[in-house]
This record gives sequence, structure tokens and C-alpha cells, in this order.
Amino acid sequence: MTLQTVPKLPLSPDAAETPDRNDFQLSRNWFSAHQWQPFPFQQQVWQAVASGQSGMLHATTGAGKTYAVWMAAIERFALKKPTAASAKKSGIAIAEKPAKRKAVTQPLTVLWITPMRALAADTERALIAPVNELNLDWSIALRTGDTNSAERSRQSKRLPTALITTPESLTLLLTRPDAADTFASLQMVVVDEWHELIGNKRGVQLQLALARLRRWRPQLITWGLSATLGNLQHAMEVLIPTASKPVLVQGKLEKHLLIDTLLPPGIERFPWAGHLGLRMLPQVVEQIESSPNSLIFTNTRSQCEIWYQALLEARPDWAGLIALHHGSLDRNVREWVETGLKEGTLKAVVCTSSLDLGVDFLPVERVLQIGSPKGVARLMQRAGRSGHAPGRASRLTVVPTHSLELIESVAAQDAIAARNVEPRESPQKPLDVLVQHLVTIALGGGFIADDLLAEVRSCYAYRHLTDEEWHWALTFVRHGGESLTAYPDYRRAIPDEQGVWHVPDAHLARRHRMSIGTIVSDSSMVVKFWSKGASGKSLGSVEENFIARLKPGDHFLFGGRLLELVRVHEMTAFVRKATGKKAAVPRWNGGRLPLSTELANAMVARMDAAAHGHFDGPEMQMIKPLLQVQSDWSALPTNANLLAESLHSREGWHLFLYPYAGRSVHLGLASLLAWRAGKHLPNTFSIAVNDYGLELLSATPVDWATIFEQDVFSTENLLVDVIGSLNAGELAQRRFREIARISGLVFAGFPSAHKSARQVQASSSLFYDVFRKYDPNNLLLTQAQEEVLQQELEIARLSATLQHLQTKQIQLMHIKRPTPFAFPLLVERFRESSSSEKLADRIARMVADLEKAAGAGAYIPQDTANAQAKFNVQEKVYKNRERKRKTGLPSDTSNENTTNAKRRRSRIISPKPRHGF
Amino acid sequence: MRHEYPLNIGANTLLLLADKAIYWPQQKALLIADAHFGKAAAYRASGQPVPQGTTSHNLQRLNVLLSGYPTEQLIFLGDFLHAPKSHAPATLAALRHWRAQHTSMKCILVRGNHDKHAGDPPADLNIESVDEPYLIGDFALQHIPAPHATHHVLAGHIHPVFRLLGKGRQRLILPCFYHQADMTLLPSFGDFTGGFVMENEHDTFICVTDGQCVWPVTASA
Repeated sequence: MTLQTVPKLPLSPDAAETPDRNDFQLSRNWFSAHQWQPFPFQQQVWQAVASGQSGMLHATTGAGKTYAVWMAAIERFALKKPTAASAKKSGIAIAEKPAKRKAVTQPLTVLWITPMRALAADTERALIAPVNELNLDWSIALRTGDTNSAERSRQSKRLPTALITTPESLTLLLTRPDAADTFASLQMVVVDEWHELIGNKRGVQLQLALARLRRWRPQLITWGLSATLGNLQHAMEVLIPTASKPVLVQGKLEKHLLIDTLLPPGIERFPWAGHLGLRMLPQVVEQIESSPNSLIFTNTRSQCEIWYQALLEARPDWAGLIALHHGSLDRNVREWVETGLKEGTLKAVVCTSSLDLGVDFLPVERVLQIGSPKGVARLMQRAGRSGHAPGRASRLTVVPTHSLELIESVAAQDAIAARNVEPRESPQKPLDVLVQHLVTIALGGGFIADDLLAEVRSCYAYRHLTDEEWHWALTFVRHGGESLTAYPDYRRAIPDEQGVWHVPDAHLARRHRMSIGTIVSDSSMVVKFWSKGASGKSLGSVEENFIARLKPGDHFLFGGRLLELVRVHEMTAFVRKATGKKAAVPRWNGGRLPLSTELANAMVARMDAAAHGHFDGPEMQMIKPLLQVQSDWSALPTNANLLAESLHSREGWHLFLYPYAGRSVHLGLASLLAWRAGKHLPNTFSIAVNDYGLELLSATPVDWATIFEQDVFSTENLLVDVIGSLNAGELAQRRFREIARISGLVFAGFPSAHKSARQVQASSSLFYDVFRKYDPNNLLLTQAQEEVLQQELEIARLSATLQHLQTKQIQLMHIKRPTPFAFPLLVERFRESSSSEKLADRIARMVADLEKAAGAGAYIPQDTANAQAKFNVQEKVYKNRERKRKTGLPSDTSNENTTNAKRRRSRIISPKPRHGF
Repeated sequence: MRHEYPLNIGANTLLLLADKAIYWPQQKALLIADAHFGKAAAYRASGQPVPQGTTSHNLQRLNVLLSGYPTEQLIFLGDFLHAPKSHAPATLAALRHWRAQHTSMKCILVRGNHDKHAGDPPADLNIESVDEPYLIGDFALQHIPAPHATHHVLAGHIHPVFRLLGKGRQRLILPCFYHQADMTLLPSFGDFTGGFVMENEHDTFICVTDGQCVWPVTASA
């Protein structure tokens, strides 16, 4: 820390002489030294903390919530608060002997939990300012996955007064045998960006850790900081036990939000969901040009790369002025971009949700959102990135990437106007996290089972944990579950004679510490420039399975550069700069967010209005021609009608259905429908979904009219049928991978002996099969199934959707060619399957298909990397043609997309003369 | 639909069996690749809970095969035991019990990469371990599918699987036998093993199995 920056504090002499706690004179003086005025909500927090209360502060980013809680902590817990005189004195004294103060800092008092490592450094800067300027004997340090070993060992001797850390690193601290002593002096925990954690397992991990800390420090003060959620009260209840009567403080929020749409010059009548909408490029360039600085949010990392590249191609003179930012880039690159943004040296940054959060961000003038934001809360948060300063309006402009997103954009505006924001709920008793926690606590000094049960049940997520589940979890860490009792060689934690559970094996202990955490990502490979001795610069990381599809010599786009893969060695992809045009764009496997109910409802309202001839606003005017085609060829969905379309194509028999309920509900609904239709007549369906509807494709005809006459949308036996429809368990199997990793079933490996993610993946699906076969009652399997139901399929939302659909009339249209609504589903590449046929029957049919194809002489092996490259070339061709083409005519695009889609399928279908749909 | 598929290689006929093995009637030999016995036990020993039963189930399947096809010699094409930790008491006990039921049968293990690491099976199992290639008749029995100068190679190691694609964008992944002019690959026999997706190249014959039946998917070479 630099001591030259210690400011002259304008402390009034009498305030210094009579320091009254509740006047917060220290904070007030520090605020006025910066020409700030404390907001009422900040004083409210100071007051609450002064009286020992916990609570949650609800405020948008940049509203001053950091200093609300931080100054409160200083006011309550700083032991040697400087008087005016001593402040001046010590300021001088320390400026002369800087080393002296370091030795006598207060012990660990405040824990500051942040969801992202990237935020930790920013937080440190913010927290350290008043500490330095007020000359407190407080030390502040980070402990995250990025913390180096020297700092770690320093901290293992003595922790700083305030420790900034992540949920994972906190849990790791709990595995220290002396954990109880480590936290003996802790007074307060601040959980920053709690809205990011509450709805996931990281939040549950934190709930368990906080329960542990409260056991040692019953008077612990907890504060959560959260952005807008639909259920703030719940968010607070999850974080803080209600018994302690927490307060909910409303921060300054009522920033005016302006949401509008960048209207395209003409629209596609055949929106292709996979099409990334570079068509809007010229207008986006115009927008960037006209403001001093802009943020361009994209929904995926691939989209981020593509847009950055396109912008650079459109404006080569912007090289160095624009940058890209996403989570896979090297930390140095990201930090460089963040600094550039803060200092205003960058004109525009193309980013993903990696810039959703952040503390001392200078606001930008312009925020653009490429494609749908999928949720109201997210859109509000991103809008908040502009016009941060008090009194200035936040504005966000949606750039539609396909025509239907015009409706999404208006719908989002409607939802924000009505303040319909999504709620986030804590997960319910995830047993994998509990199993991990048991081993953590066994390492961190051990536990007595009954004591720990009470502690675990004090967490919101486990408040309904049954004795059986608890017993099962204990058995699981002891023998690996009921079925493993015959194997004495497996045991992670065991009780000693006094009933205290410990981890007996040092190797297992080390392994557990390595696997702590609940984020399960595809393991990634470092991307490095090729040079002698592997000394090349690191560019970031990319999913292993993407690299696995490339051969040395193939080109790909990463970090805004065109790279050529040289070789892969020990989880590092070595690359060199490449020239040329042909490149693959990495496809990172992020979860694709479903459209939220709030946004979907607003959309349905707009569709219904359109069906009744109301096209309010420029967006709806613009999309009118598309809706016209849809209505002419088929129909529009309305409040009263559920639209279904059936189509026969070369691929088989399609059914399209448009409930507008978000992709996860559609997935559940599609599986359910396939299952119930299969009861009628065994069949196999390939399922495609998007946020608006679903497609069921079969190789043989299906009489949908008859099936719809039966009660296929009934909620009766819903759970049984949905579980039944998780046929081959593809979904559950994928979910099991995460659970297997968290509960320690599979181990991602030590950093030195990096096990390939494909191996982990392979073993987790093997595990799944083996468990299903030999230990079907394993609760982790049950959990996988439940998580699929709750999270992948959103069973509660599905049930509500079914009830809603029952009130509707099904309008089944037989269409000759795909309608504007059907088209995006038709070209959707990610598919699930659902089968009620005998495996042998399926094989027989597929082998017969194959023989037909072989008869024609062609079998084209799949080459995903090439297909990907082709796709990108196509993207480019498409973009180039844009400029020449008249607007509003769909023919080109649809033909191109159709042929593209067909080419992928031509692997097995004998090449016949191509005809359009 | 059939439970075995006769594959003619030179003057020999090999039966590709649905339960992922090859029977060679002329020699009364049963060929098994990549059994990976004790894999689950090795996982358990390193702290990963895997249910028990895989080894005994695999041995049960083997017994069914041995009762259906008169076998004088049983040849393992490598990867008999999965890892050093697979020498777990329970696994070895199961193997000894199984071996005791077939005392007169000759057992040969062509060492594979896992065997080199795991070590030869204990002597009392009465399994003769040999290095690859093990020449018998017109064939070179190996673990690693490397071409042999004079003999047609029968090998494992790869754990071949094949992706079937059908109308209506359907797909299925199944274990397969993979046959080319100079080499034939066996699917892995073990239950608890993964697979490598094979592409259908020119002059290749592929036969998938669902455990009950074998399905030739390309015209025989």
C-alpha cells in the first residue's frame, strides 16, 4: 500500500474529541473528504450494524453498497479509531516508518465473500482506500484460486483483518485442522452479489460454511448485498437465520431505465436461431461510432468472438480501440481490458456475462445487447452498466439477431415497466454438496454426527433433511454407500472411539482439498503460443472437447485472433498466428439460459395482441410481415389456442408445438408428449426445442389428431410419466456427471497429473451405468433424477404450463413447408431423443436405413471440425451477401440454411436431387 | 437378428458373438479382449465408491459363453486386470472360484498395456501370460492393433463402438467388431469400460452388438 496518498482529513476538532459511535463521525468525515454525502440507506446500514443486526442490502451496482457495509464494519470493529490529532500524527509517523504498522494489525474480523475471483481485486482496491486514509491498523488481503503460494503461507500463519475470498476458498479454509482457531476472532461476514449465488450449489456450499462459522461465532453479523430479485425476502431468509431478525435495507434503486431496440432495415421471415445476426453490423458500428464508449453484451463466448472479429473487419482503424472480454481469456488480458475500460482508453468492449458484475466500474455511455437477454433481471443489470452516476438514466439497446427477438425486446420492456422480475430460489438439500461438506468438516477438526446434523439443518437448503438422508450421507462417506460395505478398502471419513469423525488417509485428504467446489465445467485446455521450451504467451483457455475436434493445422478464432493449432501436449494447445479465412469458432458449453416465465408471459401477451390485429410500437410494426406469413400458412398462437403444426419432409414426420414457455419446460413437455404418444404406439422421437416451441420428429408417421384427442396434457401421473420419459436417462446421465464430481465419485485430478476431462466424462457416464445396474437405490442417482426434474425440466413450471395448456384449444395445422415459427426448430442442431421402442427394433430399422444408403454407394463420415469451419465460411458468405441483397426477402437465407442443415444429415440419406421445402 | 455372425478370413471362419467375444471353431478357442477385471475394485481402493458386482457379472457372462461354445483354450487379448490395485482379495477370490470351474481349459493372456502395469495374474489362476504377437494358426493375436507382416491381426485395446444414424435424426452408439483386410478388432468384454467411436472407412466391415444380437452394418469385405 502506498502511504503517500494519505489525505489531509478535515476532521473537526470537537468531533474528534467526543467520538460518539452513533454519529459515525469517522465515516462522515471520510465521505466528505471525497465530497460525498452519505445516502440514507448507507446510514441505515451503519445504524443496524452498530446495534449488532444482520441484514440484506438491496441496491444496484455502483450505488454505494460497498461503503455502506464496509464503513459500518469499520465503525463497529476498528479498535483504534484515530482521533483527528492522532490521525494526523500517525499519518506522518507512518509515512516515515511504513513497516511498523504492518506488524500490529487487528486479527481476522471481517470476511468478504465475492462470487467471482475477478471481482476480488476490485473489491480490495475499494476496501483499502478508507483503511489507508483513516490510518486504521487493519490489513486486507485476498484469498482466491489465484492467490500465490507465498501469500497463502503468509496467511496460514496469520490471516488479515479483512479477508476477501470466494465460497470455494472459504470452504478450503474450513478443511484446516485448526479452522476453529482461525475464525475465533471473526465478527462479520459480507456476501457480495448474493443474487449470483442464492440459486445454485455454490450458494448452498456457502450456507453450510456460514452455519459452521456461526457455530463458532454465534454473534456473527451477516450482511448480504443483492441486486434486484423477484423474491428479496426469500434471499435474505436463506442467507441469515430468521431467528436473528435481519433487516432488509432498500438502497438507491430508482434509476430510470430506458430499453429500446435497434431496428433492422428489413426482417427475415425465416428466422434461423443459429444465425448470429451479423446483419445488424453496420448499424452497431454506427452506434459505437456515435458514443465515446460502449459495452456490447453477447450471450455466448462464441458470439463474442464472432462480433469482435466482424467489428474489426468492418472498421480496421478501430484496432487497439476495441477489445473483447470473456471468461476464457487469460487473466492478464481481462485485466488489461478492465483497466482500459476504467481509464476510458477503449472505445468499445464486446463482452459476455463476464462483465455483468464489477465494483468500481466507470459507467459507459452506451450499452448494446446482442440477441435476447432471456431474463428481466439480467437485462436490468446490464442496463445499469450505463449512466452509473446518480441522476443519469440507464439505457440499453437490444440488437435483435433474428426477427422473433423483436417481440422479445418489446416483451422485456413491458416486463420492466410492470416490474416483473424473476425470483431465484435456493436449491433443496443437494446431497452431493452435503457429502462434500462432511469430508470438509471431518478434515477441519472433525465432527460429532449429532452436532453436525443440527448445524446442517440450520441451513435453509437442508432444513427438511430427513434422518434417513443424513444417515445415508454418513454411510456414504464411510463406506461409499450401502452396497460397498463389503469393501473395507474404501473409506473417506470414519468416526474414532469418541465418535469424532476424521479423514484417516492423507492422500484422500489432499484429494478432497483439490476437488472442493460445486462448479463443474468441462475441463479446459490452456491456449499458448508455440515456442521453444513451451515459453509462449498464454492466451486463455478453451474447452477440451473443442480442441479434440481439431487437427493440427486447423484454424480457429480465439481471443480475437485467428490461430492455427500446432500441437496438443499435456492439456495445453499450442498455436501460432494464422492467416486466411477458414476458421472454426470454439463452441463453449455454457448452459443456455431458458427464457424466463416473466419474459415469456410478456411475449405471449404481445403475440395475442398481434393475433387480434394490434401491432403497437415500431418493433411490432416491423415484425408484422413475418406474422402475416405465419398466419397465412398456418395460424398465430393466441390466448385461446395452442398452435400445433404437422409436416412431412424427407427427414420424417414432424410435429411443431408452440407453448411459449421457455426451452427447459419445452424439453420436459416434449419428452412427456413423446412418452405419452409412445404408449399409444411405440416409437422413437428426436426432440428439438427452443424458447418458443418444440419439435418431435419421427421416422414413421404419427396420428397426432387422435393423440391430441386423448388427455396428453393432463397433469395426472405427471411425475411418473416424466420420470418414465427420461428414457435412456440421457439427461439424468449428464446431470449425474456434476453430482459425481461434487460428491467425490470422480476426481478431476491433481493439477500436476491432469486427468483429461474426457476421461472424467467417460468415467462419470460409466459410473452412471454401473450404479444404475448394481446400486439402483443410490441416493445420488435419485438426486440426479430430481435435479433433472427441478432444474433441467423445471417440473413445477412444466406442471403450471400443462394446466395452462389444458385451458387451450389445440389448433392442429397440416403445413406443406416449414412456417416462420417452425423453421428455427427444424434447423436446431442440439437434440434429445426419446424412445418407447425395443432397442432391437430401432437397430433393425437403422441398419436397414444404412443399407439403403450404402446401396447408393455413399457414406460420408461426419467431420465436425470441417462442418464447423464450413459453417463459419457460410456465416461470412452470408454476411458479404447482406450488403448486396434487397432486404426482407427470405429466399436466399432459407435455401442456404436448408441446404446447410441437409448437408449435415446427408451422412445417411442417399444423395438425391435436392429440392427445397 | 442373430446371436453370432460368421466372418470368413482366409480358410478360417470366426464367429462374432453378441456377447462381445469371438469363437474360433477350428481351434475350439474363445477370444476375449479388454476384460478389465477388478476395475471397479481399483476405483474403490483409490477412494471412489463404485458398486460391487461388475467382476462377478462379467465372469457369469463368460460362463454362459463357455457353456454355449465348447472351448479348449480361452485367450485374453490383453487388459485382463485393470490396475495393480485390482489384485484386491475379493476380485482374486472371484477369479479363483471361476477358474476352479474350468480346470481343464487352457487359459492364455496376451499381455496388454494394463497388464504390464498391473502385473501378471497370480500363478494359481493358471493363466499363461505371453507377449504379443501370439501366433496361432493364421492369426496374430495381439492387444495393440498394430499390423503384422504375415498374419491377420486379432486385437483389442481400442474398445471400438459405432454410431448408428437413422431417419428422423436418430442415433445410437453400440459396441462393435471392426474388420479390415489385415486386422479385426474386438469390442471390449468388460462391462465397466468406455468406447472409442469408429468411423466407417472404405473396405471396412462393421458388426454392432446390443449384447443379445449381432448386426452387420456394412456389406462384408
